[in-house]
Amino acid sequence: MIKKQWIIMLVLVLFAFGIFGCGQDTTGPDDEGPGEEEGTILIGIMVPVTGAYSENGIDMENAVKLAVNEINAAGGILGHTVVTTTGDDECDPAKATAAASKLVSEEVVGVVGGYCSGATLPTLKIYGDAGIPLVVAAANATSLVEENPGWTFMINSTGDMQAENAIGWFEKQGVETIGLIDDGSAFATDLKMLTKQQWEAKGKIVLTDDTVTTGEQDFSALVTTIMSANPDGIYWTAYHAEGALIVRQLREAGYEGIIIVADGSSAPAFIELAGPYADGVFCTAPPFADLNPAAAEFVTNYKEMFNSDPGAYSGLTYDAMYLLADAIERAGSFDDTAIKDALAATDGFQGISGEVMFTEKNTLGRSNFVILVVEDGKWTFAE
Amino acid sequence: MSFWEIFAQQLFNGLLIGSFYGLVAIGYSMVYGIIKLLNFAHGDIYMFGAFTGMVALGLLSPAFGNAWLGIIAALLITMVFVGLFGVTIQRVAYRPMLKAPRLSILITALAVSMIIYNSMLLITQGQARPFRTGLTHESFFIGPLRLTETRIVLLVAALALMFLMHMFITRTMYGKAMRAIALDRDTCQLMGINVYKIIAITFFVGSSLAAAAGIMAGVYYGTIHFFMGFLIGLKAFTAAVIGGIGIIPGAMLGGLLLGLLEAFATQIPFVGTVWKDVFSFVFLILFLIFKPTGILGRVESERM
Repeated sequence: MIKKQWIIMLVLVLFAFGIFGCGQDTTGPDDEGPGEEEGTILIGIMVPVTGAYSENGIDMENAVKLAVNEINAAGGILGHTVVTTTGDDECDPAKATAAASKLVSEEVVGVVGGYCSGATLPTLKIYGDAGIPLVVAAANATSLVEENPGWTFMINSTGDMQAENAIGWFEKQGVETIGLIDDGSAFATDLKMLTKQQWEAKGKIVLTDDTVTTGEQDFSALVTTIMSANPDGIYWTAYHAEGALIVRQLREAGYEGIIIVADGSSAPAFIELAGPYADGVFCTAPPFADLNPAAAEFVTNYKEMFNSDPGAYSGLTYDAMYLLADAIERAGSFDDTAIKDALAATDGFQGISGEVMFTEKNTLGRSNFVILVVEDGKWTFAE
Repeated sequence: MSFWEIFAQQLFNGLLIGSFYGLVAIGYSMVYGIIKLLNFAHGDIYMFGAFTGMVALGLLSPAFGNAWLGIIAALLITMVFVGLFGVTIQRVAYRPMLKAPRLSILITALAVSMIIYNSMLLITQGQARPFRTGLTHESFFIGPLRLTETRIVLLVAALALMFLMHMFITRTMYGKAMRAIALDRDTCQLMGINVYKIIAITFFVGSSLAAAAGIMAGVYYGTIHFFMGFLIGLKAFTAAVIGGIGIIPGAMLGGLLLGLLEAFATQIPFVGTVWKDVFSFVFLILFLIFKPTGILGRVESERM
């Protein structure tokens, strides 16, 4: 009997290693040891480079690498060459915690990234405790603002601004009743609640309010309930994998109202998966580098270097890396508190996605959301 | 939409999703019935089938002018291929464990599931893939029902496969042998039945049915991803238990029932989509408490 128990214990331990082992990223730093030695500094990138949301994550990682190449070519930061190391968060809170701990143990000077809010959230305290500034390029749930220990800086606008943007667009289209759908993730639930509050505060009606399970493929029952309530507009607040399926099944069932998807669905994969049904779908999106004239040079360089389109968040991530470099230059040293203060004092930093200045809570002091629409299988400006 | 329109639509939705559950549940139930193994890798075989089908369709569809002909060809080839894949898994991972304690083979099944899952994650890099069939999805009305050609064909095909499966189990020698092995493996061996061969056939049939369900899901939803097997594996397991695990018609019945439950649960006020899955698993728990043998199950008295 005892022997059998030992075998079970052993298997459990092996499993634990198997599961947590996946959280470790295999792409280590380009050189060993603490960042400040031998004239180099180490910058961490925390994005999902594997998993269902890796498309955006890889774009973001590429954008940092592009920025770092340019910074190094221009003499580095304070005369030091920049080296990057990636922590893969896989959009999963547990994996993100492991990734953040890995970056902290490698003694990075600062971290750029943060795609999924749910995965970014538990890392804020880890970086805060270690005194490492984190510049978040994409994640924007309200909880990130509430849990910020003071070391996180968000250069993407927050969820309430996105909700405002969606509502503004619904009103412009004459929509009176809406249906809301999220997938239960931190970011999507937050955005849904904010939209609901703001919409109802205007005295308007939310007809349906649903949460779907991530990984589910069949939404026909949900589509039938929505069709029977028949709202004028629908807002999907989560990511592209389920979003494409829901849009497809809604349109197949004959839904003709206005559909808006949140920035999590702005990846080109959304259009690929939804096929012809994507046409006419709107999106509350961050400043797309592809459509931004100020980012033309970045887009050209990006396409040349990585042979692919830059995607939704690479422009902001590129800005985040430059902002961090700028703050270190202004701080004049690699002292963590000095860098944090320099970041907080940012005023009038011009990135390719626009000007950056922070509110008291370290969030972007303006709304940068735009409305996009799918036309002929491509995102374009709706206005 | 009026009450009856909603009712008819949800009835159809439930039957279609339920028939997918049923096809996967048959494989679960067969394997459990014959070697008392909860084959956790079964959902992943479904997913593997969907991806194999995508590749086969990509290679075959240009050769056929008609979209449906291409799909049928891809379906048949994939069913054979994934069936053999299932047999290989059985030969490599399960057969050496047949005489070992039940827990060992259960853990082996978990390991097989993780190997398939993570291999597909690596191959697809975690991206959802579009499943292109070239079918149009024009919808039309039959009475109050809004339907597409695809949905009708898929439902008919799924029910036909279930019927064929039922005939196979009840009318053929192999089916008879499977049922005998489920009752008493050792005696069957003494009676001259090649037990290992029958177990291999069971895995072949179960895996090819799961693959068929995977391809059908691809055709229907237009998107496949590496984690599609997890939820359906869970649901199919639930369906198998509700219908009576180890009993083939029970798996079909359980699948259809679960699909209908889910479709109508979204319609109940305050249950809705959010609690839909909770609703079906509560149903599972109720079954386990009040009728643990499932709808078609009988209490077996074991003679020692």
